[in-house]
Amino acid sequence: MTAAPTPSRVPPKPRTWPRTLAIWAVLLVITAIAASPFVGIDLGAGFGAVAKSWQNGVNKLLEMFQLDWRILPRTFPPLLQTIEMAIAGTAVSAILAIPLTLWSARLTNPWTPGRGVVRFILNVIRAIPDLLYAAILVAMVGVGALPGILSLVMLDVAIIVKLVAEAVDAGQTGSIEAGRAAGGTQFQINRALALPDMWPSFASQTLYVFELNVRVSAVLGLVGAGGLGLLIDEVRTYFHYDQLAVIILELLVVIVLLELGSSWLRRRLV
Amino acid sequence: MSILDLRLSAAVPPKPRHWWRWLAALVIAAVVVAVFIALPIAWNRLGDLPGEIVRYLWLMFSAPDWSKLPEALWQTWRSVAMAWIGTILSIAIATPLSILAARGVGPRWCIVVLRVVFGVIRAVPEIIIAIVILSVTGLTPLTGAIAIGVSGIGTLGKWGYEAVETAPTGGVEAVRASGGRLGDEIRWGLWPAIAPTFLSFWLYRFEISVRASAILGLIGVGGIGDMLTSYTQYRDWATVGVLVIVVIVVTMLLDAVSGAIRRRITEGATSRGPAGA
Repeated sequence: MTAAPTPSRVPPKPRTWPRTLAIWAVLLVITAIAASPFVGIDLGAGFGAVAKSWQNGVNKLLEMFQLDWRILPRTFPPLLQTIEMAIAGTAVSAILAIPLTLWSARLTNPWTPGRGVVRFILNVIRAIPDLLYAAILVAMVGVGALPGILSLVMLDVAIIVKLVAEAVDAGQTGSIEAGRAAGGTQFQINRALALPDMWPSFASQTLYVFELNVRVSAVLGLVGAGGLGLLIDEVRTYFHYDQLAVIILELLVVIVLLELGSSWLRRRLV
Repeated sequence: MSILDLRLSAAVPPKPRHWWRWLAALVIAAVVVAVFIALPIAWNRLGDLPGEIVRYLWLMFSAPDWSKLPEALWQTWRSVAMAWIGTILSIAIATPLSILAARGVGPRWCIVVLRVVFGVIRAVPEIIIAIVILSVTGLTPLTGAIAIGVSGIGTLGKWGYEAVETAPTGGVEAVRASGGRLGDEIRWGLWPAIAPTFLSFWLYRFEISVRASAILGLIGVGGIGDMLTSYTQYRDWATVGVLVIVVIVVTMLLDAVSGAIRRRITEGATSRGPAGA
């Protein structure tokens, strides 16, 4: 046993500093390029603009603390429309999402190419931010609630289908195998077994999407797609920051209340 | 349990009757119908909608105006740069704050205040933050970067303190046992345990920021969103088609790269974990 090396020696410290240094250097270079003029977004010019006009701007910002409550009655109809848009968008997308989810989960649709096509299309849809849809759809179908609802539906369907299909695939396969062993067709299996199994995750994602929709539909109006955003746009064009503050506060209260309600519901569902 | 009970329980149990579920479904359906009646939608025009959308998709993608591609890429780069700066800003501010907001690290009042701040920020969309700070910073990409940065503090802060609270406490206890102070505990006990999680949060937040930066262009702070609004207003659909393609490709590409790095970080960390410990 004398040949054995002393076991209590501290192992050599791994040499990680060259890698760390390289990572830091790359990050710094990207940041520097992104911030510089001509090749980036020219933060220097941005700070220059701040230096020139900050006094005026700060006065405007301070106006936000003198809340102008007279606008409150005017906010109720657009706020109601915002919530209506969110509900309508959620309802339509929930209905569309059920068959699409069954189509794009491995357990409920064994046909890989068909699944791949739908998943790819949904990935592409998810790559475009909500307000860009709204901006394009407003130009297509005109100003109003309709383009807003349509852009909500696009993203919601993509989100619900992705999350619920993943939950279906990660879930228990027992009941579906039992259904197959009993000789059920894929359609029968999906309707009788997969659908009840995916119900809790479907309900919880739909609730999540509803919360998201209230937030998004509040600003969709900035590009003309109806709801509270129209009012926000009007108030901001005239720099009525005292009124903007009231709208933001109101929105905060509504969003927090909805979040509390939906987290209570989710606890009961799951 | 007696044999008799077993025999009895072998009968098919009665189907549970969830009358309240039906009630809930009925209420939801009623609300949805009421909403659709209340919304000012021109239902008679809804029939034309699919045809219209196909027509516009054709206008956009049948012959995209590729001569606008260089400008589109340049503006996309500006958006991504905006997202990058904003994300770095939020990482720099949110990381210490999120650790401070975790139970067991910061003082009680600090935890409450920080959590309220994170919650408020998360409830306000980026574009509204941008509108608010616009009066000070003007219509420059800096506004976009700051708006993204502020909004990132809300999300990164919340994810951060949740990660700190669920992190394994062994390292911190070891440092405390060997006489370290709070600073040592965080640097040598906590940070190694949460660093991989935090890194992957940062990358994920960058993906969100890229989408946000495209949106922020809509109010005129520059970038791809700015270009998109102008060309939709000119109804120059061939260019809009190019812009949409660029947004899709760049976003999906960045998501793929960031996702690959995130997987490398988290999975590499778990496979190294036991050996290192």
